[in-house]
Amino acid sequence: MPTSQVVPSDITGKEQASRSVEYFQSLYELFKSSQQVTGPIERSYIIGGYLIRLSFAGEALLSLTRALEHLSTNDCSTPDLRICLSDSESTGQSMIPRPWEDGDFLARGVIQGYNTERIYTAFQHGSAAVSVLDKERNLAVFWAPDPRLPYWEEGSPLRTILYWWLLSQELQLVHAAAVGNSTGGVLIGGKGGSGKSTTALACLESNLSYVGDDYTLLGLDPGPVVHSLYNSAKLNNDHAQRFPALLPKIANTDRLTEEKALLFVNEHYPAKVATRLPIQAILLPRVTGLVETRLKRVSVAMALASLAPSTIFQLPRAGNEAFKFLATFARQLPCFSLELGTDLSTIPSVIEGLLAQIDSDSLPQEK
Amino acid sequence: MNNQRFRVNTPTVTHETIDGEAVIINLDSGNYYSLIEVGSFIWGLVEKGSSASEVQNLVLQTYQGDANEVDRCVQELLAQLQQEGLIVPVDGEGALNLVQLNQVLPSNNNHEKPSFNPPLLNKYSDMQELLLLDPIHDVDEAGWPKPNQDPQK
Repeated sequence: MPTSQVVPSDITGKEQASRSVEYFQSLYELFKSSQQVTGPIERSYIIGGYLIRLSFAGEALLSLTRALEHLSTNDCSTPDLRICLSDSESTGQSMIPRPWEDGDFLARGVIQGYNTERIYTAFQHGSAAVSVLDKERNLAVFWAPDPRLPYWEEGSPLRTILYWWLLSQELQLVHAAAVGNSTGGVLIGGKGGSGKSTTALACLESNLSYVGDDYTLLGLDPGPVVHSLYNSAKLNNDHAQRFPALLPKIANTDRLTEEKALLFVNEHYPAKVATRLPIQAILLPRVTGLVETRLKRVSVAMALASLAPSTIFQLPRAGNEAFKFLATFARQLPCFSLELGTDLSTIPSVIEGLLAQIDSDSLPQEK
Repeated sequence: MNNQRFRVNTPTVTHETIDGEAVIINLDSGNYYSLIEVGSFIWGLVEKGSSASEVQNLVLQTYQGDANEVDRCVQELLAQLQQEGLIVPVDGEGALNLVQLNQVLPSNNNHEKPSFNPPLLNKYSDMQELLLLDPIHDVDEAGWPKPNQDPQK
């Protein structure tokens, strides 16, 4: 198993494999019967270079597509991955009874006894949604009891399924932002509240493009690259007040007392969104209280310690494989602490200056 | 104790050493750690199969320091690494992997030895909350936990 969170159970591997496949098939059959009633709705996206099709049972979960809209495509060919989405309330179809015990809900939502080399199963406590992937069939099911999903699910939809499947394609989902220009981009890592979103959103009014501000996709072939995943930005309410131009664009203004501010960048700045950039440096933002923004070189190990834990501990079944990927990625790049100033307008110019310097130094990066 | 060998507690623990700094993650506890300088050197020796006494000797060969202090610091660090679940004792005699050991040892011994500074295991616990199991208070008729609307992330 790729993570220690999946602990051995008292049944044999063969039994576990068999009942995991049976569980997936039951869920998939339930989805198909729901879709027969509601009629099929399909949306396609190019994510990390792969054609991924979302098949909905009805319109209720279409709100999940806003964060992916910048990657939409009309390509009708056979998808690399198909994800089936349904909910109990709008379809009137009750979820099949869970076949596992209370004690089988493990940390990070992993379901013990229903995770094998082929089948991946997780439960998201916030939305009570189940995500199941059959890697062999490149087929997944996302089922929620209620289509009114928490804001974070709308901001980063299907994160678990996409992480599982894209890792097989040698793309690593990472908890990091990214911005850049024609010379390349910077990956902005760190745990929640470190300043990733502030940095990315501060660049919207500059010459820099926006790739993502919370979760992005990393690739290593032919060099370190970042792919956009979601165009949604999430900001604490007090941080949102620092961007007066963005306040009218916030999608959930009626729920800001209990939710972070959610902004779909593609709906307001479509020309600013970049889908892929070669990465030239890793930045670790840090709020300083000083006026000016400045850079300070830090070790690759420090960058890895910032990127890896906040990525791994949010993703079911993530572990050694994700850590080694991020280490390989970080080893190829110069790393800096981005000491954020209170004058947000200085942030993009510091990043542009760094990219120009790296470009002129001709560091060995992908062009 | 001095002939005791250890192994990294895989798959619970994953680690990387880059430019002399070790980053170590305990996937079960959510804690992560860093070691630099002497600490990273000792981590590399333990990982390659050195016993406690071999670690002490190799540290003394590599760094300028008092043998008693080195002995005490090595024992303390090894105890701490065990306590955090990062390494576990290996039964039996085991064997030092000499080929891999050469990757840890400095290649040029002509320079003056650096001073021995006591190793420090830096521990970070700020990710633990992500691993807290959500308590199951309320389930529907099919046994599914009801949504927990606590804000997150």
